[in-house]
Amino acid sequence: MLDRLRRPWPDDRAERTLGAVSLLIFVCVVAMVVFVALRAWPIFAHNGLSWLLPGGDLHGQITNMVNAPANPPPAVYHLRAWPLIYGTLLSGVIAVALGLGIALLASIFIVEFAPASLRRITIPTIRLLASVPSVIYGLIGILVLVPFIGNHVISASEKASVQTLVQLNGTGVLVSVVILTVMITPIMVALICEALSSVPVSWREGAMALGVNRLRAMLAVTVPAARPAIVAAAVLAGARALGEAVMIQMVSGSVFFSPKPTDGVVFFFEPLRTLASTIIDYNDGVGAPALRSALYAFALLLLFAALTLSVGGYLVKLPLRKYQTRG
Amino acid sequence: MNRIRRIAAAFTVVGVLGIAAPAVASATSLITISGATASYPLVSLLAAKYVKTHPHKVKFKITQGGAQIGINDVAAGRVTIGDVSRDPLPTDPPGLDFYPIARYAICVVTNKSNPLSNLTAAQLLSIFTGKTRTWSGVPGATATGTIDLISRTSVAGVLTNFQTLLLGGKKVAEPLAAEEASEGLLKQQVENDPNSIGFLSNYQADSGGVNSVGFNGVGCTIANAVSAQYAGVARFYEVTKGPVLGAARSFISWVDHSKAAQKIISSQWIPVT
Amino acid sequence: MRTWRWRDRLVLAGAWIAGLGLCTIAAAIVLYMGYRGVQYLRPGLIFESPQVSQSQAGSGGFLDPLEGTALLALIGITIALPLALCAAVWIVEYGRPSWLARVVESSIEVVAGTPDIVIAIFGLAIFQMSLLAPFSVRASGGGVFGRSFIAAGAMMSLIALPPLFVATRNGLQSTPVHMREAAFALGKTRIATIRRVLLPGVRSDIATGVTLGVSRIIGDTAIILLLLGGTARLEPQGSVPIFNLLRGTGSTLTSYVYGNSPAGEGLAPQKAYAAAVVLLAFVLGLNLLVDFIGRRQASASGLAVGSAIV
Repeated sequence: MLDRLRRPWPDDRAERTLGAVSLLIFVCVVAMVVFVALRAWPIFAHNGLSWLLPGGDLHGQITNMVNAPANPPPAVYHLRAWPLIYGTLLSGVIAVALGLGIALLASIFIVEFAPASLRRITIPTIRLLASVPSVIYGLIGILVLVPFIGNHVISASEKASVQTLVQLNGTGVLVSVVILTVMITPIMVALICEALSSVPVSWREGAMALGVNRLRAMLAVTVPAARPAIVAAAVLAGARALGEAVMIQMVSGSVFFSPKPTDGVVFFFEPLRTLASTIIDYNDGVGAPALRSALYAFALLLLFAALTLSVGGYLVKLPLRKYQTRG
Repeated sequence: MNRIRRIAAAFTVVGVLGIAAPAVASATSLITISGATASYPLVSLLAAKYVKTHPHKVKFKITQGGAQIGINDVAAGRVTIGDVSRDPLPTDPPGLDFYPIARYAICVVTNKSNPLSNLTAAQLLSIFTGKTRTWSGVPGATATGTIDLISRTSVAGVLTNFQTLLLGGKKVAEPLAAEEASEGLLKQQVENDPNSIGFLSNYQADSGGVNSVGFNGVGCTIANAVSAQYAGVARFYEVTKGPVLGAARSFISWVDHSKAAQKIISSQWIPVT
Repeated sequence: MRTWRWRDRLVLAGAWIAGLGLCTIAAAIVLYMGYRGVQYLRPGLIFESPQVSQSQAGSGGFLDPLEGTALLALIGITIALPLALCAAVWIVEYGRPSWLARVVESSIEVVAGTPDIVIAIFGLAIFQMSLLAPFSVRASGGGVFGRSFIAAGAMMSLIALPPLFVATRNGLQSTPVHMREAAFALGKTRIATIRRVLLPGVRSDIATGVTLGVSRIIGDTAIILLLLGGTARLEPQGSVPIFNLLRGTGSTLTSYVYGNSPAGEGLAPQKAYAAAVVLLAFVLGLNLLVDFIGRRQASASGLAVGSAIV
């Protein structure tokens, strides 16, 4: 049988084997969803979908779950986790929006305006940013950014203005969003650069021949042609931003609080918590049945968000198909 | 075809041997421990000393994860001993035996620029429950402005003990206080924020960088803890499912009785008795 | 540029600032961690195992975390490479029926977008099942420990899969059609063409993908914290030579940095920063490797390679 393996395979057997192996990945994803959903089921059973809404004291609810006995009564499963969803969306959306703008500008710089020597330095440097581990980003956050903002940027009166609700000590929305943006921008730069450089130069040259300057030619011709890639970049960066756990845990302030935009500037200094950072914070308590279901419910929500982003990106790219330049 | 059969047979033999062999060939028993990060330094030192003084008898595998993970692992039979840094709770799984091996003190800490030397029980309670919000309401503090409360997540054993021992059973104000996931993060926050106040095990508080605050006139030192003057003294437990047997039993009784173990414990922690 | 409108000049300035700003940030991160850690970095640290000790001076080095990182990268890539290659080849060369191909591609996208903490929790759920007890250890109480190098490595392969797949697929897609046609004209079957002509042709893309996958593996923290068991040293389990190492627990550079820095218990920050410098050096090295491979491929084939940035 061994030389049956060694002889060249007929194409149909090869196709079937390769297809089966590829399907394994799909099976893996399905298994992941099923496992996580099964463990998250009690939260849905006791709360329906209203656990996504605000209401009540989230910290009290989580503490009840931590301290619950082995067979918790139904009341323990009560959960209203909106502050976490709000925190995740807030940090994620702001970071992606900021990052997209910066990434677009940086990509235009790299593809069009950077001299060749500078381009040779910039590309590896930005790729390095993408591969720095999140624990190092978190360390730089708590060692440098948080003390700086807490001690030199936030004024005492700002701290006093919210002191009965939360405390402002540097951790919070601003540091989380800044570091998150730095983390996801390189991913977007890479994808957008690749797309911009694969648009035929002749298109830009045509525009310039008509009298448009280089920047306008980029913005009017090349960038729209790269729209599918920009959408893909935003989707990938968004997924990464939603799921970032370790870094956010260190710099977000770790309080079950929803920052209020109506607070003005103070809004940027208020602490928050995201779904992923809560999973890491409480991953100790994964033995308490109610807390375990809650953490798995958060994980299911994150998984669902990644799926939605994927599908959403695909749908947004559909009408842009006619601009696809890659074979 | 023969070649495939021979290779498959060889793999099966190696596989079976690999899984069966440990059961047959282990003259040394393996003690697996998981649990609290606070007691990890102590238990690692004790285990290392035990292996040195009892060579070829036992192997240790000590992992961390948190006191609650220790309880869950030992209840589910995943480890032999669980490290726990808090007293048993009524919500713990049934059938667990708690063996105290050492004690530690919980110190209230402030930033180095705020050399607060003492807090009464009433003052501490009012600060941590959020009644006093500015340092101007705390005599003896040089800091000004809002008090930044730094606490731990609800799964932390040190938090449970702090609330029971130093806050008289009351809870830390939430969502006011920041819930740090580890002693390291709590210490980092207190080190960087001049207006902060928090609580750490004495091992962390004594390693420098923060100011230790006395409680009811008694400083948070090992001497005061040994003489039972300091109120905030909690226990480290080794937890087993059912009464401890075999190699684990020898280890725990060595920790309780041998001079070498007590010497290690007294160096930075407090002996049980 | 003198004829440009102010708005255009502003945008151009913005582009320069964005590009150079990102580079400055990268340099700042490396320099800061270097400044924090290099003072404590001794060559001896790389060759000493972690010791238990009450002082930072006696707590040994990070040989075991280094070995753990290498072992984990090896396991992750060994599992991910065949999967990624099969998937990429099947989708590009066969891909029938097309809805199935789209299903597989979407699955890989979902895996790429899944947060590593979710993958870690999933790994814990799977490997604590009795069925998979041989892959970690079954304790005396009967429970499955569920944390081992195999468990972490299997989940790490999910992390490394998307970059590998994308790199290989892009490489295969940009191989000119005439190479396939020439092979068919000589009478080779499709699978033989893939084995002998196409895959060797995209070797550098695969190398790039492997390097990117490895850099993602060594940078991941969440999976290690949950799935590797958190022992300071490599602790093999059982007595079969290699299998016992895989079933055992250990640590990696990321978990070592995490545990000893203020993120964890913070008891050995000096060692943590020194380890962070080593970690950054690895990441830097891997990135330079990707660059090198990309440049060698561009000069060898003469094709303009716009890819291989991520």
